[in-house]
Amino acid sequence: MMDRLIARTVRQRRPLSVHIDLTYRCNERCVHCYLDHRDYGELTTPEILGVLEDLAAAGTLFLTFSGGEIFLRPDLFEILGAARRLHFDVSLKTNALLVTAERAARLRELGVRRVQISIYSDDPAIHDAVTKVRGSLERSLAAIPLLQAQGLHVKIACPLMTENLSSFRGVLALAERLGVAYIFDMTITPMIDGDASTLAHRASGTQLLPILRDPVLRSCRPQPGDAPPLPSGVGSAVSSGIESDAYDDLPCSAGHNSCYVSPYGDVYACVQLPVSAGNLRRECFAEIWSGAPALERVRAIRESQLPVCSACSIRKYCERCPGLAFMEGGDLLGAYERACELAEQNARIAGVPNPVSALHAQQGTERRPVPAEMPLDAMVTI
Amino acid sequence: MNAVAPTLWQRNPVLAWREIDGEAVIISPGESVMHELNGTGSFVWELLDGRHTPAQIAALLSAEYEVSSETALRDTESLLQELASLRLILQAGVNAGLAGVPADR
Repeated sequence: MMDRLIARTVRQRRPLSVHIDLTYRCNERCVHCYLDHRDYGELTTPEILGVLEDLAAAGTLFLTFSGGEIFLRPDLFEILGAARRLHFDVSLKTNALLVTAERAARLRELGVRRVQISIYSDDPAIHDAVTKVRGSLERSLAAIPLLQAQGLHVKIACPLMTENLSSFRGVLALAERLGVAYIFDMTITPMIDGDASTLAHRASGTQLLPILRDPVLRSCRPQPGDAPPLPSGVGSAVSSGIESDAYDDLPCSAGHNSCYVSPYGDVYACVQLPVSAGNLRRECFAEIWSGAPALERVRAIRESQLPVCSACSIRKYCERCPGLAFMEGGDLLGAYERACELAEQNARIAGVPNPVSALHAQQGTERRPVPAEMPLDAMVTI
Repeated sequence: MNAVAPTLWQRNPVLAWREIDGEAVIISPGESVMHELNGTGSFVWELLDGRHTPAQIAALLSAEYEVSSETALRDTESLLQELASLRLILQAGVNAGLAGVPADR
């Protein structure tokens, strides 16, 4: 049913899923965060309510409110009330530091379906070192039973970086113990203004290999050859596009049936593709969505026509993202090192002998040998 | 003999839904289940505002889709029964157990 809905909305170019960051302000200071937390003039309450009306009229069903930290918006519940009246399916992304029993009950009353909470480790020292807020793990975890008691679906999102790789199994166990879904995200991006300092926290493909090989994650994913050959417990914790096979030759949902709105009203194809297609303070959503050149450029991308990647022999193991291709290589259509590195690791795990991406083949890069002191079999567990 | 007032039905206010290409897509948050109604089902869905009786809905359905009034009433009642069993609709005026949920539009 979902695939059919996706196919129809792509064909009709309906913005089925929209991600709105209500603020970039935050009460944590995560070391890897790509946002500038200052407030440069967020959309006001009436402006946001107007945007919601426009999105409902455009056919949006799935709405994700994120940030920054959404609970720093004093009008959050007013916004959620408006979303409820307009019949959106609402998901939230939060660090949950400000969730109380009363607020959790209010979320249920307002029909919120899912709450995604950022958790970096089961070890307070590691989690709190990432967020730079002492006691933050304890407070975030305390929110989970409050939300569950209200019948809300809770998901733990764990971006993986050099600081918390050792916590991978602990977070898995934590999710199991709490009875919540989880997603591990290996994507650490440059900051939204292009500053690449956050990349210092990015784990290498070799460092991530034990996670890519993890039997728990691999047990919930189809084998290579089936689509998608990627673990369901691994993906983007940031993007709110809908993953599906129904996109065929399209790289993803961005600009086809999903988009992103910044706290300042800028419309992007995706949060991971920060090129403004227009601003909702100057134009209505329908005008931007129907033909902004920045969206049309994204819509024109076809996987089969990518200059380098279309000829790649390990393409099906790759998580190439047009936004990251643009942010990391400056080219929406280009190949980029990070995707190639992870695709080669995924292919190697799947048993492909000596996998080399098209980009590396062009560069004449030979497969980097796995160091002798770290044989693959020994890297299954951390 | 007193006539029994017909049951009035309204969409469960906790649901998320959108009409897409003439077909209603409905999501119940508790179960995270997606339902889809075809064109005639969606026509009925739009009228489930707690004010239309099943007979009135059937009459409008009959006029819109040029089916007999008997067929329209039978199909409407069958659909209402199914939607009610899934708790996608509730009897109008009956507490949905969702204090604070804004009134449906």
